[in-house]
Amino acid sequence: MRLFFNIVGRERLRTGSVHSPSFLCSWILVAFLLFPSLPASLLPVIPSLSVSTCSAAVYTPDNLPIPYLNNKENYVSNPDGILSAEAVDSLNLWLGQMEQKHGVQTVLAVVERIEGGDAYEFCMALGRKYGIGSKEQNTGLIILLSTGDRVYYILTGRGLEGTLPDAICKRIENRQMLPALREGDWDEAMLNTVRAITRYVDGDPSIVGSSDFDDGSDTIALYVFLLCMAVGIGLIALAAWLEERKKRYCPSCHQYKMKRISSRTTTNKSLGIRTHHDTYRCSHCFFTKERHWDENINSGMGAAAAGGALGGSIFRGGGSSFRGGSFGGSFGGGSFGGGGAGGRF
Amino acid sequence: MKAIKSILLAVVVTLGFTSCTYNKLVEQEEVVAQKWADVETQYQRRADLIPNLVSTVKGYAAHESETLEAVVAARSKATQMTIDPATATPEQIAAFQAAQGELSQALGRLLAITENYPDLKANEQFSELQAQLEGTENRIAESRRIYNEAVQTYNVSVRKFPNNIWAMIFGFEKKAMFSAESGAEKAPEVQF
Repeated sequence: MRLFFNIVGRERLRTGSVHSPSFLCSWILVAFLLFPSLPASLLPVIPSLSVSTCSAAVYTPDNLPIPYLNNKENYVSNPDGILSAEAVDSLNLWLGQMEQKHGVQTVLAVVERIEGGDAYEFCMALGRKYGIGSKEQNTGLIILLSTGDRVYYILTGRGLEGTLPDAICKRIENRQMLPALREGDWDEAMLNTVRAITRYVDGDPSIVGSSDFDDGSDTIALYVFLLCMAVGIGLIALAAWLEERKKRYCPSCHQYKMKRISSRTTTNKSLGIRTHHDTYRCSHCFFTKERHWDENINSGMGAAAAGGALGGSIFRGGGSSFRGGSFGGSFGGGSFGGGGAGGRF
Repeated sequence: MKAIKSILLAVVVTLGFTSCTYNKLVEQEEVVAQKWADVETQYQRRADLIPNLVSTVKGYAAHESETLEAVVAARSKATQMTIDPATATPEQIAAFQAAQGELSQALGRLLAITENYPDLKANEQFSELQAQLEGTENRIAESRRIYNEAVQTYNVSVRKFPNNIWAMIFGFEKKAMFSAESGAEKAPEVQF
């Protein structure tokens, strides 16, 4: 049963919709498990629904899932699971490097079907909706492949039209994408395409990664972190100052004018204790007082070692959490003027 | 004294509003002019691609000279027509659109006949030229859409009350748009 719910959950994740046929089908099965007395005439419904699962959702620019918004290391929208996980990983890695180095913000979508079957219109609507690419550089890039409609398109943002002219997009498609597409090797088609695009973009020094493609949430997070640091340091300093002030308190005239005038230490090696004898005198009423405090010699090293270990583990923990955690990305508001090329296969 | 003060205040406030309206209209008119320039750039880009396309096609399909000449003629006719967006009347825009539409039709016919030449279709240079041409057609459509949007914003400003009074005084007039769907823009379907 638990396994079943797992499958249901995964189904929901994959399609991103509660109303998909396969999801409905799963719930009918649940209903049968819970209420075995349900009329058996409902049973034939299940296979028919399962068959309809094979034809995946028809995507519009509005309902296409954009994983980048939740995790800015995910450039690839692969809602129908057409690309393999390994290919998606490689594509994400390369597209991430391209964004870091050149500020080219990409959305790569591979779906079974798009509404209307017009790849150009779909890409333009997607670009208009999300404003992919930074507003200053307009270096957005949309790569779309619809395997059911057998169309593809590389749409370049206004700022990318010089780096990736239409002719180059077409050449990449003709040489890198089409041969693999004709064999139905979707992974290879996309990997080759992105590899070629990266080469062209790397070869153009005029577009550079800028800090502005970084989304604001990171900057805010940095400011919050700095503020917390400042407050923390301030509190520690305040505590230290209060501690120091306490030592300067004169019990005779109630003023904070005691000063340490001499200090000596006695050591008891067998107990491992060093005792400090500090003599304080008030500069106001010349009241004199001796204060004692003990220092544990043996545990000094131990404490230091423990501190080191603690520090190390915190560092390690911090490292892993940094790697694991990633923020959702946001698009910069780049515009598309209709550059790029596409075709059918 | 009080009366003079209040009159002065009224004059200052009115002038303030006027300059606000006036500046806004000027800004929007400038935006329209800039968007028009974008449209012209894209049409020019298409015109620049055509000689290359024609010579490439000629190499493979020399005896289609009639279609090729039609393209060249339509191109020269379309490039001769320039329009000042500040004074363009709807008729001028329509004439411009018609001339460019004629070129689109001629190009459509040319691309249709290339279907008969497999060698030409396999030529990478031709394929890339065609992609450039398609990209340019897309850019034209997009820049026209943006131009129309800018004109619409401007026209709404000009016609709204009280802006229409100031627009009349300062001579801001409604501007013409591209008609959304013109038959001439559609490439003809050719049956073989």
